[in-house]
Amino acid sequence: MKKLFSIIISALIVCLSCAGAFAAGINSSESSVLSSMRTPANMKGNSVYVPSSYINQAEAYFNTIDMTSAQAGKINGIISQGRSFLQSTGKSSLKELSASERKTLMGYASSAAAVLNLSAAAGSDAEDIKVISKDGEVIVDDSGNIIKTTGAQQSVAPYVAVSVFAVLLSFAGAGVIYSRKKSFVYEEIK
Amino acid sequence: MKKSSKKIDKNIKKFIIVPIVMCIVMCIFTAAVFYPNISFAVSIGNMFLSDKQVDYSKSYENIFVPTDNNSDTIDASEIEFPSINKQFGEIRIDKRNVYAKLFFGDGSVPLRNGAGVYAGSFIPGYGKTILVAGHNNTYFNGLKNVKKGDVVKVSTSYGNYEYKVTSTKIHNADSKKSYDLKADKENLILYTCYPFDELGLTEKRFFVYADKISGPQIVGLYD
Repeated sequence: MKKLFSIIISALIVCLSCAGAFAAGINSSESSVLSSMRTPANMKGNSVYVPSSYINQAEAYFNTIDMTSAQAGKINGIISQGRSFLQSTGKSSLKELSASERKTLMGYASSAAAVLNLSAAAGSDAEDIKVISKDGEVIVDDSGNIIKTTGAQQSVAPYVAVSVFAVLLSFAGAGVIYSRKKSFVYEEIK
Repeated sequence: MKKSSKKIDKNIKKFIIVPIVMCIVMCIFTAAVFYPNISFAVSIGNMFLSDKQVDYSKSYENIFVPTDNNSDTIDASEIEFPSINKQFGEIRIDKRNVYAKLFFGDGSVPLRNGAGVYAGSFIPGYGKTILVAGHNNTYFNGLKNVKKGDVVKVSTSYGNYEYKVTSTKIHNADSKKSYDLKADKENLILYTCYPFDELGLTEKRFFVYADKISGPQIVGLYD
């Protein structure tokens, strides 16, 4: 009897854990958040949209969880506050936002992520966004570059400076040797 | 007096003017000769001097289990949706010797171990754009031989997919014309650095565009 009971309990646990792992699809709460994300903010008459890459990443994550209507309500409220904030800045595009305004905007994103027990962080320019779950699983890791550069930044300036300096140095030396040789030959003839 | 000023003039000519003129001439000459290799040298240098932290880890979670499922549809409830850095399939173009493990996410872990689906695109069967990155000198080197009409096979735990190559193109890495993440038609985009066989980083990318020809459509995604 004890054995049978433990088998039933084990089976139940397995079924429940599977339900969590296969929390597939987009439920109505998740749909409402996605639709809220798709609603543009009005910035001085311009409609400003959340980039589709971010919305798609949210959708990919929502496929792995089951959001409750209470969570969706909170997130939609925060998104709405974010939209009002953008309107209140008096700027006409996201590019015009100051560093502190970007920080405030990122604060809304962090608050929305916190509703799902996630933490969101961004680089100083509010790009390079990382969203991590409580147990350290990476949910979003977006550098802002959709097409990847395999992890390193390309900057020509330092190489040009070093190359020019090296060339100058070596040819200045060559010039000196050339001049000395010339005057040596001149003096010998003399 | 005249003699010493003549000597000064000679020294100025010898130690300043001649080296400067020679420098300018040699800079022009060097630039003309080595211009084609400058980007190569820069990219090699960046591999060593980059301040970005790269994760060289070879450890990752694998949720891929091969299946025989070739049905027309599959319910979303039967799928384990992958999260970042998980291997969830394989991609291959038999004719062109392309084979790679397929990961969700295209950061350093996926690209070091195979090919990666950009997390802001979709998985096969979703009916939208699947944007896949791979390195040009390893897993996606064979893309250089891909021709229109070739078949790209993608295996996942929930179904096997085939895509027919419609075109190949070269775009700048920052070109937004190279993909459409809002497309409502399932399309596969593979890309890698261009030129092929170049070590280091390049500014251009080689894209392979393919349309779905078979594989189960995921249904029941939305309540």
